[in-house]
Amino acid sequence: MGDGSGSRWSRAEWVQQYDLLGKIGEGTYGLVFLARTKTPSPSKSIAIKKFKQSKDGDGVSPTAIREIMLLREITHENVVKLVNVHINHADMSLYLAFDYAEHDLYEIIRHHRDKLNHSINQYTVKSLLWQLLNGLSYLHSNWMIHRDLKPSNILVMGEGEEHGVVKIADFGLARIYQAPLKPLSDNGVVVTIWYRAPELLLGAKHYTSAVDMWAVGCIFAELLTLKPLFQGAEVKATSNPFQLDQLDKIFKVLGHPTLEKWPSLASLQHWQQDVQHIQGRKYDNTGLYNAVHLSTKSPAYDLLSKMLEYDPRKRITAAQALEHEYFKIEPLPGRNALVPCQLGEKIVNYPTRPVDNTTDLEGTTNLPPSQAVTGVSGSMPGAHGSNRSVPRPMNVVGMPRMPPQAMAAYNLTSQAAMGDGMNPGSISKQRGVPQGHPQQLRRKEQMGMPGYPSQQKSRRI
Amino acid sequence: MGSSGTFSLSSLMCEEGEACFFEHLDENPDTIDSLDSPCFVLEDEEEYIEYLLRQETGFGSQNQPFLASDDRSNRNWLRSARVDAIDWIFNSQAKFGFRVETAYISVTYFDRFLSKRSIDESKPWAIQLLSVACLSLAAKIEEQNVPVLSDYPMEEYRFENKVIKNMELMILSTLEWKMGSATPFAYLHYFVGKFCPGSKPQTIITKAIQHIVAMVKDVNLMDQRPSIIASAAILAASDATLTRKGMDLRISVISSCGSLESGDVFFCYNLIQEKRKNEVKTPCSNLMSTQSSSTCVLENPSDTCSGAKRKLSFEDSENCAAQKLHRP
Repeated sequence: MGDGSGSRWSRAEWVQQYDLLGKIGEGTYGLVFLARTKTPSPSKSIAIKKFKQSKDGDGVSPTAIREIMLLREITHENVVKLVNVHINHADMSLYLAFDYAEHDLYEIIRHHRDKLNHSINQYTVKSLLWQLLNGLSYLHSNWMIHRDLKPSNILVMGEGEEHGVVKIADFGLARIYQAPLKPLSDNGVVVTIWYRAPELLLGAKHYTSAVDMWAVGCIFAELLTLKPLFQGAEVKATSNPFQLDQLDKIFKVLGHPTLEKWPSLASLQHWQQDVQHIQGRKYDNTGLYNAVHLSTKSPAYDLLSKMLEYDPRKRITAAQALEHEYFKIEPLPGRNALVPCQLGEKIVNYPTRPVDNTTDLEGTTNLPPSQAVTGVSGSMPGAHGSNRSVPRPMNVVGMPRMPPQAMAAYNLTSQAAMGDGMNPGSISKQRGVPQGHPQQLRRKEQMGMPGYPSQQKSRRI
Repeated sequence: MGSSGTFSLSSLMCEEGEACFFEHLDENPDTIDSLDSPCFVLEDEEEYIEYLLRQETGFGSQNQPFLASDDRSNRNWLRSARVDAIDWIFNSQAKFGFRVETAYISVTYFDRFLSKRSIDESKPWAIQLLSVACLSLAAKIEEQNVPVLSDYPMEEYRFENKVIKNMELMILSTLEWKMGSATPFAYLHYFVGKFCPGSKPQTIITKAIQHIVAMVKDVNLMDQRPSIIASAAILAASDATLTRKGMDLRISVISSCGSLESGDVFFCYNLIQEKRKNEVKTPCSNLMSTQSSSTCVLENPSDTCSGAKRKLSFEDSENCAAQKLHRP
């Protein structure tokens, strides 16, 4: 950023569409901001994800391209909705505008564990899981694998028309089947190993949709017990190191995998080479039912154990899981996962996301020192206390949300001016070039929520 | 296409045969590939192909033919510029060891871009910039190891990284970020099994890939659906003497391929045969292919079979718009 660029971005035309409220997250990918649309009314909350600038010599970041191209193809109630893509031409940075989701499973679980000290009610667990599977089933049927499912990537809508609806987010690592895959550690992205499927830990070179189902199993268990099921300590090394401790944690609960139950195990690199003598280790098999405190006869246990099946080919699929008996017995899953339909169930008021209003869209921190960010969290007792810094989308805690009046400083209208002349978009398109093929257009129309203002029409990309 | 030269097609081919379409072998030679990996796709292959075919519906139909212009000189210029660009793309693909699909996808971006925005004769540099950015984008999506922008071999013009990045952004937004182009390659394994049961799939696929690559210069990739190109290439690779009737019979094996227009397949099939006849041991240089008779086939609507789309003429509807290309 050279001189004056700080004001240049704010001159970009697209910024005028929003009132910026502040930063709500930060990660390896970049920053996330909360904003409100000025039109249409009623205005709605938008999460704006700013991608970290790639090195000049690299051009547009592959992660950004993949995430956007995948999100452009998908429309589903349980997948986060990309409302717009903005290019800031002055510094060629990219901003994605999403429908804002107030909660995520990470925060919901943490709230129950650290604040409420009681488990999440059955209805909520079941509804969250059902919707997660519903979104995942859609992705898989479109031949997409998420590859990085974890509680912080599973969002839940706050109060409003979609209250309590689950949204799968963060497609930075998602892939269309058959596209070549870099080992995850090679693109400089840190992915938590706690939700990683055993076949990957053992060196499988290919991702299948079954890796997502393993992660769902881990998340299901975490919703039940409020703590991560397999909390291994990560080995940090440059090129996809062997994660012995993570496998050890899994084997301790599920027992040793056997060739009998998992025939292709023999072909997996780390198993075959047996460098750390994993084949010879003894495990007592404490039992999954002990870890999650479920009766082996309960449908919940049955479903969970099918998600945590060692052999990826035998592991239950998202579509099959949706048909499982667990979802057919009381309490039945519902659309608003946070508010049980039944009387007598207590409604939990989950905290809203803290907003750091001292950071502008460029990520520069300013404003009075009294408001400086002090509560940068990273050590959650019992959760992320291991040897790694988990890229949390929500790094800033303990900041109350500012009342709307205090946001005047971020109302960018007054600074608005004409966009600069570098806009490649200023090359006019041929008239009458249709947008997308009919199938996609149809899907979008169908998905339009009643009472939910559509942003799609104003799309300029 | 077997002879050597700067642009030897056979050297671009995957040696692994069909396997390379369903698994992506790790660079590391001493790793053992997991057995279960290719199978997951094979088990689901039917379903996957149906999905791909569904995605193809509406293919191209909404795009303006980008090579359709009244301005004859610009049309000729653009045609030869496109051939140069394709040579550059495939040469660079070979240089970096990219997969053939990556180069092919770059050309689809190239064609799609030009169907929405035009570039005219006064800006030859823009074609090269477009080629670099298309290949760089395809590599980012398809390849494991992506070179830095400055590593792309530039010929006449050198572009700053910033300029290339800006062009990447322009392509992404022009194509509305729909970068998941289907390619004929995804169909090859499936079609071999269906059209030529009992034959050696590797041999046929390798040949089919050569046919597909050879066709790239002659067919605007916006005009023919990937499944059509794939089936024609497989049929041509397995039997060079098919009649329309014989071909229909082979195609009819596939029930889910109601969308495989046999007229279109036959058109592509003939195009391949035509090209093969003209293959007089010349390295596939750009000069040769602009003059080649298969290009003429495309230009003459009364030639070959009926009903097929032939839109290989140039569009120049927005000269003034393209002026702005200077900006970045």
